[in-house]
Amino acid sequence: MRDQIPPDLRGRRARDPFWVAASALFNGVQRIRSLREPVIPAVKPVDRTRVMLVQEVRREAADVVSLRLGAPDGRMLPAWQPGCHLDVLLPSGRRRQYSLCGDPADRRSYRVAVRRLPDGSGGSAEIHDTLVEGASLTVSEPRNAFPFLVRDRYLFLAGGIGVTPILPMVQAAHRLRADWRLIYTGRSRDTLPFLDELPAERVTVRTDDEHGVPDCADLLADAAGAAVYCCGPAPMIDGVRAAFAPTGGATLHFERFAPAPITDGRPFEIELARTGVTLPVPADRSALEVIRDALPDVAYSCRQGFCGTCRVGLLAGDADRRHPGDAAPDSLLPCVSRATGGRLTLDL
Amino acid sequence: MSVHLTEPENLVLQARDVRFDWSQVPLHWIPGDPVATHLVNVLHLLLPAGEEWFVRVFKEAVPHIADDRLREDVLGFIGQEAVHASSHDGVLDHFMEQGLDVRPFVRQAEFLFEGLLGDRNLTGDRKRAWLYERISLIAAIEHFTGVLGDWILNAEALDEAGADPTMMDLLRWHGAEEVEHRHVAHDLFMHLDGSYPTRLRAMAETITMLATLWHRGHRFLMAADPVVKGRIKGGVHHLRRTGPAGLTPDGRMVAASVRRYLKRSYSPLNEGSTSQALAYLASSPAAQAALR
Ligand code: FES
Ligand SMILES: [Fe+2]
Ligand SMILES: [Fe+2]
Repeated sequence: MRDQIPPDLRGRRARDPFWVAASALFNGVQRIRSLREPVIPAVKPVDRTRVMLVQEVRREAADVVSLRLGAPDGRMLPAWQPGCHLDVLLPSGRRRQYSLCGDPADRRSYRVAVRRLPDGSGGSAEIHDTLVEGASLTVSEPRNAFPFLVRDRYLFLAGGIGVTPILPMVQAAHRLRADWRLIYTGRSRDTLPFLDELPAERVTVRTDDEHGVPDCADLLADAAGAAVYCCGPAPMIDGVRAAFAPTGGATLHFERFAPAPITDGRPFEIELARTGVTLPVPADRSALEVIRDALPDVAYSCRQGFCGTCRVGLLAGDADRRHPGDAAPDSLLPCVSRATGGRLTLDL
Repeated sequence: MSVHLTEPENLVLQARDVRFDWSQVPLHWIPGDPVATHLVNVLHLLLPAGEEWFVRVFKEAVPHIADDRLREDVLGFIGQEAVHASSHDGVLDHFMEQGLDVRPFVRQAEFLFEGLLGDRNLTGDRKRAWLYERISLIAAIEHFTGVLGDWILNAEALDEAGADPTMMDLLRWHGAEEVEHRHVAHDLFMHLDGSYPTRLRAMAETITMLATLWHRGHRFLMAADPVVKGRIKGGVHHLRRTGPAGLTPDGRMVAASVRRYLKRSYSPLNEGSTSQALAYLASSPAAQAALR
């Protein structure tokens, strides 16, 4: 019905003469132009990855190493700014994101630091166990999901390896002659990397073994009027978000690398009706991730259930709807919603 | 060591989950100036249908992109535009509650974006050509949304006139995200097609379309307003007062930006300021409400 010419604005005529004329003109032009076969230029693929050489591997703390990466021919690298990360493609095919933690003024090398995660999915172990000086790695261009803005007061909150994006910010704040403080938390001193690079007079080290587990309200005690940049484990970021109040024009900045982890998910199956495949969705993955393995061009955006981009038609099955935005009975937001059990049939 | 105050670059675009409470927003949210209020309100009538159309067209374009970074940008853009569309929809519901029945004009906007500019049941190269055609239009429209976004971020005259803070936050949050993602539609068009004559044609069509819709939309709102009741006739000629007063964009400012667009060397990144946009987004009440 929406492609029918609408009534006029005063409800006097069923077809608005303005739109009758506009459609005739527009469709006429399209018809004349379509007399000629269209010429579709070929799309030129753009490859933004580059191979880098591991120039130096350094132990920075008990279970943290840093890697210095440079171009094999020593040429200049793309510029970056505090808060940027690299996508690193490991030899095994794993893809991981690491914050750049060197000096942005150094245009010939990048530095990233990696903590070994004993229960991680193997990316950090691969770096710790297999990467030596002289090895090569493929990386993307630097991208920024944690932009650093010019302000006169900063409060930096770093939890463990979360200090990596904060390091270049601290340096930038220092160069701006801003009033800044860093609270650096972790289990114990020997697990905190880069302490030697931080000026002790502006840094408060707060370790669990000496001070107990930090309370987020305490971390924010000095936040009034400051730009608060927080990076650390997910519970720390969530705690700071909950405790933050914008007093005196304070603002909160944090980085979301990944959607929130799935809580009490159960495995189920999705059947992609148009593609003709049935795929298992494990308890710890979203239906969207599984769909993307099979259909890499499927559109999505927020991966949190609020933008509606990933919405697909739901043809059969009982949905476990996990966002208020996912209410329509005949569709589903596969980035968050799951099945109550059994199988969902999707219009894909 | 010099201090670098460069603009943030290479941003990862992410949709922000915003909340607005319209219940306290008056009908004439620029106090005592229904004419200027409705000149801006035309946006609310066009944006939900228009931005949903952006989302559909860009989703169709995703499989054709051969550049990982551009694909990420386009996906971020889609999410932001989808949230814009639903947020402006909330304003329309509020208008309805206040006795301003916007449905006849919204119906026309839907006809434009879902009928005239919608799917045409084409196949093969013709389908692709129609996709590129619409992307060229979106790139031209996004030039204006970026310019308007930059304008609203700096529109101090509206604050001085006492414009409603919730409405200003909606417009500035949206404007700031428009500035933040202003390069994406142009980049997508240049990646897939890139023809200069197509860009010119798209700009000519966009100007005609926007000017006509603005005029008709303003006349409609002034006639439908339950307080004004048509006593003041609407139309874009009112911009001659509201533009120089800073309550709406100014024709000369927009014309100058179009001249920049028409250059072959045009880059959307030269319009507006990313750092200003990000600073606003960091402090926007609606975006901060969603942090919690
Ligand atoms: S990706 Fe935004 S709702 Fe699913
Ligand atoms: Fe928008
Ligand atoms: Fe936009």
